[in-house]
Amino acid sequence: MESAEAEPSDSRPEEDGAAPRSGLPPPEQPVATMEDCLAKKMEITVSEAEKRTGRNAMNMQETYTAYLIETRAVESQSEGQCAPVDSLWRRYSEFELLRNYLSVTYPHIVVPPLPEKRADFVWHKLSADNMDPDFVERRRIGLENFLLRVASHPVLCQDKIFYSFLTQEGGWKEMVNETGFQLKADSRLKALNATFRVKNPDKRFTELKHYSDELQSVISHLLRVRARVADRLYGVYKVHGNYGRVFSEWSAIEKEMGDGLQSAGHHMDVYAASIDDILEEEEHYADQLKEYLFYAEALRAVCRKHELMQYDLEMAAQDLTSKKQQCEELATGTVRTFSLKGMTSKLFGQETPEQREAKIKVLEEQIQEGEEQLKSKNLEGRDFVKSAWADIERFKEQKNHDLKEALISYAVMQISMCKKGIQVWTNAKECFSKM
Amino acid sequence: MSGGAAGAPKPLPSSGPKSLREMPHPLATSSSEEMGPALTPSPDLLLPRSIADKDLSLPNGTPVDTSSPASSSSLLNRLQLDDDLDGETRDLFVTVDDPKKHVCTMETYITYRVTTKTTRAEFDLPEYSVRRRYQDFDWLRNKLEESQPTHLIPPLPEKFVVKGVVDRFSEEFVETRRKALDKFLKRITDHPVLSFNEHFNVFLTAKDLNAYKKQGMALLSKMGESVKYVTGGYKLRSRPLEFAAIGEYLDTFSLKLGTIDRIAQRIIKEQLEYLVELREYGPVYSTWGALEVELSEPLEGLSACIGNCCTALEELSEDMTEDFLPVLREYILYSESMKNVLKKRDQVQAEYEAKLEAVALKKEDRPKVPTDVEKCQDRVECFNADLKADMERWQNNKRQDFRQLLMGMADKNIQYYEKCLTAWESIIPLLQDKPETK
Repeated sequence: MESAEAEPSDSRPEEDGAAPRSGLPPPEQPVATMEDCLAKKMEITVSEAEKRTGRNAMNMQETYTAYLIETRAVESQSEGQCAPVDSLWRRYSEFELLRNYLSVTYPHIVVPPLPEKRADFVWHKLSADNMDPDFVERRRIGLENFLLRVASHPVLCQDKIFYSFLTQEGGWKEMVNETGFQLKADSRLKALNATFRVKNPDKRFTELKHYSDELQSVISHLLRVRARVADRLYGVYKVHGNYGRVFSEWSAIEKEMGDGLQSAGHHMDVYAASIDDILEEEEHYADQLKEYLFYAEALRAVCRKHELMQYDLEMAAQDLTSKKQQCEELATGTVRTFSLKGMTSKLFGQETPEQREAKIKVLEEQIQEGEEQLKSKNLEGRDFVKSAWADIERFKEQKNHDLKEALISYAVMQISMCKKGIQVWTNAKECFSKM
Repeated sequence: MSGGAAGAPKPLPSSGPKSLREMPHPLATSSSEEMGPALTPSPDLLLPRSIADKDLSLPNGTPVDTSSPASSSSLLNRLQLDDDLDGETRDLFVTVDDPKKHVCTMETYITYRVTTKTTRAEFDLPEYSVRRRYQDFDWLRNKLEESQPTHLIPPLPEKFVVKGVVDRFSEEFVETRRKALDKFLKRITDHPVLSFNEHFNVFLTAKDLNAYKKQGMALLSKMGESVKYVTGGYKLRSRPLEFAAIGEYLDTFSLKLGTIDRIAQRIIKEQLEYLVELREYGPVYSTWGALEVELSEPLEGLSACIGNCCTALEELSEDMTEDFLPVLREYILYSESMKNVLKKRDQVQAEYEAKLEAVALKKEDRPKVPTDVEKCQDRVECFNADLKADMERWQNNKRQDFRQLLMGMADKNIQYYEKCLTAWESIIPLLQDKPETK
C-alpha cells in the first residue's frame, strides 16, 4: 500500500470517487503513515457534555446528552499564534451512525469501538443511570478516545465522512445516508449461515475468532469480579470510620489516654474517606479493559466478513461446477448426476435439438460470467485477507502496548493505595504511642 | 538492708499443705511514725523467716499491729511505690506455656505448664514447674475473690465455649487461651497483695492441687474473714463521689469497649468477604495470560501478586481475631468484676452506716464508740483504701495494655500494607519488560 504524499495542514484528504465495492478496499485508497494521520495534524477533543431535550422521530419528548467536539489544526510552533478552534455538538446516536458507516465501509479494518451505551459492570456505589454525571463524564472521555483512535488509524483517518463528522455540523447525517452504506451491510442471518457452512476458511481467521471469543469471556469475567472486589473493599474501609466516632467518645472519659485516642480516631476517618478516590481511579482501569472487551467484537466482525466472503466464493465455485456439468450433460446427452430437469425431460420427452442448443448457449454464457465472477471473487478474497491481516497485526501490537500500559498503571494505583495505608496507620500508631 | 528475725530457722522444704498461718496484711499496720517514706516494702529483701512466725509483718520484716484502724494515706503511698516494679526489683516470675492435650476415658482436656522462678521466702524452692488445667485457674480466681474481696481480681478468659462453633482443641483457640491465662497470672504476680496470697502460692507450687482443694482449708486472711458478708440487707444511701465516678467510668468504658469489639468483628467479616472475591479475581488474570503471548508473563505475574495480597490479608484477619478481640473481651469482663467489687464496697459502707445509726438512735451516753461499729468503720476505710489503690494501678495498667494493643493493631495493618506493597512493586519490572530483552 502506497502512502499518499504528506499534505499541507489545511488540505482535505483525497476524494474517494467511486464507492468501494463490498469487501474490497477502494483501489486508490490512500493510506497515511503515522506522521500523516489526522491525529497529528489536528487536535481533537470532546470537551463538554450537555443535557438536552428535544423531539425524537416519533415526535415524543426525550432527554439526551450532547457532546462538544472541538478541533484545531496543529500549527508549527514558530508561527506563535494558535489556529482558531472549530466546534460542533454531536449526540451518542451520531457516533453510532459514524461507527456503523466505518464498519460497513472498511470491513477489513478492526474498527475502534465506542464506549458502552449503558453503564455495565457497576459496583453498588456507582450509578447505572445514563444521566449520572460520573457516567456522562466517563463516556465523554470514551468518545474522545474513540475519535482519537480513528484519527490515528492509517486508513480510517483518511475517510471523508469521518472528517465531516468532526467539522461539518449540518447535513452530516444526510451525507452519510447518501453513501448508501446501509445497503452494503451484510445481514446477520447471512453471516451466521456462512459461519456454519463455510468449508475452508483461512485457519488464521478461525484461530482469531476463537481468540476473540475467549478474550471477551475472560475480560467480562474479570470486570464482573473486579466490581465485586471494589464493593467489598469499600465496605472494609468505611467500617473503619466507626472507630473515629467511638474513639472520640471514649477519649471523653479518659485523662491521659484521651488525646491519643482522639487524634487516632481522626486518622481512622481519613482512612475511611480515602477509598472514594482510590476506587474512582480504578474505574479508569476498568474502562481501559472495557475498550478491549468491545474491541474483541470488532475482531470478530472482521473474521465474520472473511467467512462470508469465503462462503460466497465457495458457493460461486460450486454453482459454476454444477453449471459446467449441466452443460456437459446437455452436450453429450449423458446424465451423470441426478437432476430434476433430467428426470422430467426423461419423463416428458426429450427436447428438440434447437431447444438444447439454446439451453447450452445460455449456460455457456452463464459459465463465462461465472468464471469471471469467480476470478474477481478470488482476487477480492485474497486482497481482503492480506489487508485484513495487516490491520490485525497492527491491532495486536496496539493491544499489547495498551494493555501493558493499563496493567502498569493498575499496579501503580495499588502501590499508591498501599503507601497511603501505611501512612495512615503509621500516623495512628504514633497517636496510640502517645496514649 | 536491715535483717528480720535473726537466727530464725530456715523453712524446710515441704510438699504438703502448709500449716495455718496468718497472712501479713500490709494495711493492718500501726501508726505511720513507724515507717517513714524511706522504708519501702521492697520485696527483694529476702529474709529467712519462720513459717511458724505468728507475728504479722510487712514483707520487709517490719512488725505490724492490727489493733488500730488503718491510716490510709501513708498506706496508699507505700502501695503506690510498689506499682512501678521494673525487672530489677522483681522477685517473682510466672509463665504459662506448653499446652498439652490429655485424653482420658471420661474426658479430654488441655493442661498448661506453669513455671515459677522466685527468690521470695514464701516459696520453699527457687523454681517450680507444675501442670494446670482451666478449672484450676478458675478455682484460683474464686479463692482469690473469696479471700481478697477488697481487691480487683484479674479476669479469666471465657469459661464456656459453644461446642461445635469453636474447636476447643484447635491450635488457635488453645494459644489464645494460653496467652490469656499467662496474662492472668502475671497480673496477680504484679499485685503487691495478691501475689502473696496463700492460694496463689499453692497454685504455683503444689504437685497435687486437687488434694489441696479437697482439704478445703479456709485460709482466709483476717481481713477476708472479717469482710465476708452477709447477703445484703443493707442499703447504701449514696455512693461517695469518687466511687460513683469510678462506677460511671466503668459503665461508659465497658460500653465503648463493646462498641469497639463489634466494629472490629465487622471489619474482620468485611475483610473475609473481600478475601473471597480476591481469591476469584487473581486466577482470572492467569486464565487470560494463557490466552496471550506477549502479555502472558505480565498477566501471570499479576495473578501471583494478587495471590500474595490474599495471603497477607488472611494473616491480618487471623492476627486480629487471635490477638485483638480476646484482649478487648478480657477488659469487658474485668470491668464487670470491678463493678461487683464496687457493689461489695457499698455493702460494707451500708452496714457501717446502719450500725452507726442504730447506735445513734439508742441515744446512750456515749462512753466510747462500740467496737462493733469501730470494726465496721475499719472495714470501710480499708476497703476504700484497697480499692482506690487497685483502681489507680488498674488505670495505669489499662493505659499500658491499650497502648500496646492499639499500637499492635496499627502495626499489623502496617505490615499487611507493606507486604502488599512489596508484591506490587516487584511486578512493575515484570510488566515493563520488553520481549526483546528476554
